[in-house]
Amino acid sequence: MVDPVVQAVDLRHSYDGKRSALDGVSFTVRKGEVFGLLGKNGAGKSTLIKAMTTLIRPSSGTLRIFGMDPTKEGKKIRARIGVVQQGESFDFTTVEGNFDVYGVLWGIPRGERQRRREALIQRFGLEDIRRQRSFDISGGQKRRVQVAREFIHDMDILFLDEPTVGMDVIMRRTLLDSIREEVKGGLTVVFTTHNLEEADYVCDRIAVIDEGKLLVLDEVENLKRLYGGKKTIDLTVDIGSAARFIPALTQGLGPGTSVTTEGDSVVILTDDPKDSLAKILELSQKMGVQLEWISVRKNTLEDVFLRSVSHGGEPLGSA
Amino acid sequence: MEAPNITRLIYRNIKVNTDPGTLTILIGLPAMYLVFFGFGFASLESRSGGGASYLSFLTPGLMAFQAVMAGTVGGGMLWADRRWGMLAQLLVGPFTRLQYLLGIMLTSVTFGLAGSLVMLGIAYVLLGALPVTLIGLGAMLAIITVGSLFFGSLMLLIAAKVKSNTTYNSIQILVLFLVNFASTVFYPYSSGLPAAIRVLFAVNPLTYIADVARAAYFGTYTVTVGYEALVLCVEAVIVLFLAVRAYLRSDVSMD
Repeated sequence: MVDPVVQAVDLRHSYDGKRSALDGVSFTVRKGEVFGLLGKNGAGKSTLIKAMTTLIRPSSGTLRIFGMDPTKEGKKIRARIGVVQQGESFDFTTVEGNFDVYGVLWGIPRGERQRRREALIQRFGLEDIRRQRSFDISGGQKRRVQVAREFIHDMDILFLDEPTVGMDVIMRRTLLDSIREEVKGGLTVVFTTHNLEEADYVCDRIAVIDEGKLLVLDEVENLKRLYGGKKTIDLTVDIGSAARFIPALTQGLGPGTSVTTEGDSVVILTDDPKDSLAKILELSQKMGVQLEWISVRKNTLEDVFLRSVSHGGEPLGSA
Repeated sequence: MEAPNITRLIYRNIKVNTDPGTLTILIGLPAMYLVFFGFGFASLESRSGGGASYLSFLTPGLMAFQAVMAGTVGGGMLWADRRWGMLAQLLVGPFTRLQYLLGIMLTSVTFGLAGSLVMLGIAYVLLGALPVTLIGLGAMLAIITVGSLFFGSLMLLIAAKVKSNTTYNSIQILVLFLVNFASTVFYPYSSGLPAAIRVLFAVNPLTYIADVARAAYFGTYTVTVGYEALVLCVEAVIVLFLAVRAYLRSDVSMD
């Protein structure tokens, strides 16, 4: 049994006493995993992060970080966590000055601070901007500095609230690889994002939140399997035939599949792609319909996310 | 050995607030007052055949004025930290809210004391000799410390309540103007002043700081000056309490 580093039971929070930002959320985060929090804007992700990082006191429920109560032992908890918040946070100094000041704040001795600063500047490609003032650099560069700066101190959990917003593809990948690397060394990461591909790439387990409620929580592969079948077939037919072909296809594929259409495009979620493909080809031949495009792919996290949010967390099974 | 939290916060506050622009405002502005007013009004003084030079009169006044500048540093730090996200970032670090506040207050006091010593240094260069004794200097620094706490708390109170940059700057300019010119920093209290201005003088804490600092500078202590010091201490405690309360209730960010 892996130790839980975060335990939340029936967490509720309201900022104004009327609307619930968190509505009975329960979950655990295990030591050494990357735990993803997915949800639309205003779903409650940042509120959850604020509660876990001791910035807000939940209205009710139980929350334990390393077994400690954040409302009573906040300082002890904060000494063991790292946080990259959604909004920017900078001191009026240079990029490398920001690393130095932050290192001092965390009590890192001078020699070690310099060593870590240089390693982080190197790893996050900040060499060219290290002497620029942090307010003169671009939004993506700022985000990079903010994320990199957090690695200057030791921590047991790192909370990342949409860390890759504004980053280019290469830096995004660098960050995600850095997270994977740190996790191998025992770090636990709680990660919120809108980007489903990066959640798929880096997370071990994912929780989908909507309107303050936890809709689903499972390992990524389990979610993909549970929420839409094992494979997805994308299909496009000639526009003139779509109206008669798609209803016939929906009927003809039978159980174990789910069909959604948009114009002349069809997305089929299926347990048995081989059988579904054979039926599609057979039907198109029989009806004299030309297939413009057909492909088979693994389900993405986007399929999971859209389905869980639109179905309020009710599993679709393979149907 | 690891430095205590407060020391680390003060180091950070000083480091990020000692850019050339901030220093010019903090030290350069009062230094210019000292030089230009000191020499400019000397011509009036020579015509009237007065006693002590105006520059000598102005020196303890501008040392007292550093308490107000210290206050603007304190309020500015809280406001900027909220605006640029550092308050929330520090509060998820190994600090408590009170430690953060104490860090700001002590930084303000440090700026106030350092600024007043710079003013004294400039006066020494300009005047050649100063009447203040070591004990007098100690008393001056003590009242400037209390004054820095008062104005630091006052500006923190404003910074904790205000979210707009324009509003904060406008209030700060208004407070600076009123406090500076309705005080005994630049000219002595006179019964010939209009009644409304006399009231402003009388309720202005900077008047108390300037009067006590001037008495300590020239070694001319009176009972009235003693009362002024006492009232300032009481006011500082009240404003500090209000500032702490407002700060603890305020949002950590501008979101």
